[in-house]
Amino acid sequence: MPDFDVIDLFVSLTSRIGLNYEFLATGYEAQIWRDGFATTLYLILLLIPVSLVFGLFFAACLTSGRLWLSTPVRAFVELTRNTPTLVQLMFSFLVLNTFVSSLVGGTQNNPLSAFFWVVAVVGLHIAALHAEALRAGIEAVPAATVEAARAIGFSQLQVLRYVEVPLALRASLPAIVNNLINLVKLTTVGNAIAVSEITYASIMVWTQRDNVVSLMIVILLFFSLVNLIVARAGLWVERKLAVPGYGL
Amino acid sequence: MRFEPAQRMTLMTTDTKTALVRLEDVHLSFGRTEVLKGIDLAVNKGDAVSIIGPSGSGKSTILRCINALVQPQSGRITVGGTRVDQLTGESERIALRKRVGIVFQQYNLFPHLTVLDNIVLAPTRILGAGRPATEKLARELLEKVRLSDKENAYPGQLSGGQQQRVAIARALAMKPDLVLFDEVTSALDPETVGEVLWVIRDLIREGMTSILVTHEMRFAEEISDTVVFTENGRVVDHGTPQQIFHTSGNPRIRQFVGGFSGGRGEIRDGESI
Repeated sequence: MPDFDVIDLFVSLTSRIGLNYEFLATGYEAQIWRDGFATTLYLILLLIPVSLVFGLFFAACLTSGRLWLSTPVRAFVELTRNTPTLVQLMFSFLVLNTFVSSLVGGTQNNPLSAFFWVVAVVGLHIAALHAEALRAGIEAVPAATVEAARAIGFSQLQVLRYVEVPLALRASLPAIVNNLINLVKLTTVGNAIAVSEITYASIMVWTQRDNVVSLMIVILLFFSLVNLIVARAGLWVERKLAVPGYGL
Repeated sequence: MRFEPAQRMTLMTTDTKTALVRLEDVHLSFGRTEVLKGIDLAVNKGDAVSIIGPSGSGKSTILRCINALVQPQSGRITVGGTRVDQLTGESERIALRKRVGIVFQQYNLFPHLTVLDNIVLAPTRILGAGRPATEKLARELLEKVRLSDKENAYPGQLSGGQQQRVAIARALAMKPDLVLFDEVTSALDPETVGEVLWVIRDLIREGMTSILVTHEMRFAEEISDTVVFTENGRVVDHGTPQQIFHTSGNPRIRQFVGGFSGGRGEIRDGESI
């Protein structure tokens, strides 16, 4: 690394105000910590599209008017938003994952990792919240607008795609951005099942170094920055989609 | 300018074979409310038929039956060769709706799309028409409804009359055999009614088969081949505009059309378009 001097300087400067970043000068712990940031960012970048795609799918099921589609999704939405995500994650990893392992004949054959379960549980949880936001938006589309689209000859799916979802998205966007901000923070539950995202990596470091405050400052700044970017991006999309002369 | 009613023999009694639309003894209820109590109606190709009558008499429901938006409990509805009352499944209804345009009282444009995209969406997505050709058609239609300068505007930026003319262009873009107009000027202020009626009148003169539910009595009188008076879910009478508006022996009809004397709907030369 060419910037060892910079790190040394940073470590000595921060130590003067009582902060301890000495581990950054070591190879192993610094690596764990950097990987923690990378894992968290990777989780976020993966979870945002996963949650949006499933959220859209769930919303389509909920508003389809077909019981065989809406009932299971409704049940899942109620389950996931009424129970703690941490408990869901532990249940998934400790019970469902074990069940899968025994089905495929042993842990060594189980392709599902702890990382997978974080993406599945957090992604579907936020998807359920997206679905409720989108459902509100879809149901707010005037019945007359939908009837006109059907009268022209659009199929139910086409009405959803070309009329209801574009309008619902605009109405639901603030709520969806809120959900995404929650999603960013929720990635930290991964540490409960040893996914080495940033809080898990930080715990690894501070149990050795006793520098909780120093690391906590960075974690808080990091999440603040990520969510500032998410909120800004949301605002940008909102403006981009704004329709002249239309309330949303 | 007035059409010569004598040139056009009227419906129902005549020539069942050329009727493009035919309703026979159509009954429809919403729950316990009987809305249509045996409607008979026939519309020949190229004709304009106006349905008039008091609110709640089932006029709009008749149009919705023809477009398969609602299904009657009994009776026959034929559009072209299609038995509308027997359609099952979405694809059959879509096949019908491609041929039957409908324009609503509240315009119901897609608020998130520009005027041009409102017109282009259905032909490209439903008929699979090419985008460049459809845009060309859309611009021709906008010229026809006198809105060429508004193709990039959004519905929310247009007046009610302008939105309604876009809605007419949107219906025409599907090249329908028939257009249904459901009280298309009822939501408009008196000054903009004229510009919409003007467009409809042009269409009818070009031979577009049209069924209009309307409260514009003067307009109905002027452009219709046949006027149908409905009340309480039944056709009370039908005939030429002359028969319904001037020589009807039915006191209820005389009372109804008399109440509109001096009403709006007349288009004078030079009225704002």
